[in-house]
Amino acid sequence: MLIQFVNPLNSSALAFPILECIHIVGFALSIGTIAIVDFRLLDIGLRRQTPAQLAKDTAVWTMVGLGIMLLSGMALYSSDPDMYYLNYAFLGKMLFLILAILFNYTVHRKVVAAGASPGKTKLVACISILLWMGVVFGGIFIGFLNPTLDLKKV
Amino acid sequence: MLLSFAQFIQSTAFFTELRGSGYVYPVILSLHMVTIALFGGMILMTDMRLLGLAMRSYPVSDVIDQFRTPKRIGFVVMVALGLLMACCKAEEYYYNDWFRLKMALLAVVALHALIFRRRVYNRAAELDGMSSLPAGAKLAAGISLVLWIGIACAGRGIGYIEPPLDKIHAQFFEVPTASPQGAVTTAYRH
Repeated sequence: MLIQFVNPLNSSALAFPILECIHIVGFALSIGTIAIVDFRLLDIGLRRQTPAQLAKDTAVWTMVGLGIMLLSGMALYSSDPDMYYLNYAFLGKMLFLILAILFNYTVHRKVVAAGASPGKTKLVACISILLWMGVVFGGIFIGFLNPTLDLKKV
Repeated sequence: MLLSFAQFIQSTAFFTELRGSGYVYPVILSLHMVTIALFGGMILMTDMRLLGLAMRSYPVSDVIDQFRTPKRIGFVVMVALGLLMACCKAEEYYYNDWFRLKMALLAVVALHALIFRRRVYNRAAELDGMSSLPAGAKLAAGISLVLWIGIACAGRGIGYIEPPLDKIHAQFFEVPTASPQGAVTTAYRH
């Protein structure tokens, strides 16, 4: 049985681009605050603070950013779920997103809080940055792997 | 003048190749977005520190002085990647209102630096002991926040404007039509 439902997002031409802008601000805030900690692990940026201190003080903004990013992302997804589901870039993006979030709240958190050898610390920072880069790349390639995505439709 | 320069720069062999290179262009765009992800947080946190919203336990000078170099490096990388893309489609973007707005906002960022660098950012140490920051510092941070979010949104807007095909002279011009093969469509135009 098909449920008749018209997504209100698709009835306004402005809804999708506005959500995209919110999505960008969300990931600048979430990935950006995680990156501040990663750069600290690489001895770049706020070096007068410890990584643990930095992570603690940015945690709330990382969460706010993640919330904005995930909610706006789900709304964007809802505009054309079939297309996204069939798009390899989107699937790759979801894989990177799950890995990045898991990594951030397990291995990354542990190394930031308890410290590790310099080599391991830098490796963790690089993995974190690469995972989040994978998420961003996946997002951009959604539109390039599937040019049938009709932006006028939304 | 500006239009003929745009036509010249996009017709150079390098940018013609880049425009027709299929997946090189989205890689550059992705890296441009990666710089937002990696360095945008530094801008947001610096502004929010000045507004008293984040990192309040850190001295203002710690945040401003230590982020300065990485932010500059990020900015240079971001602009370099942006320039590569803009030169590919210089003629199309000449007509694009969101691109014009983005450039105007970037000019205002330069103006912002001219006005506030000496008054706020280069005097961060003086702000350290203050219980509440002066209005000028908060104004600088608020304007910066609005400008950078505006630049990101204007950048997103660029992609929504259909190029005026009758006016474009670019070879390997990407025509935004559906392709069942799922590859980036290119067409030759003279």
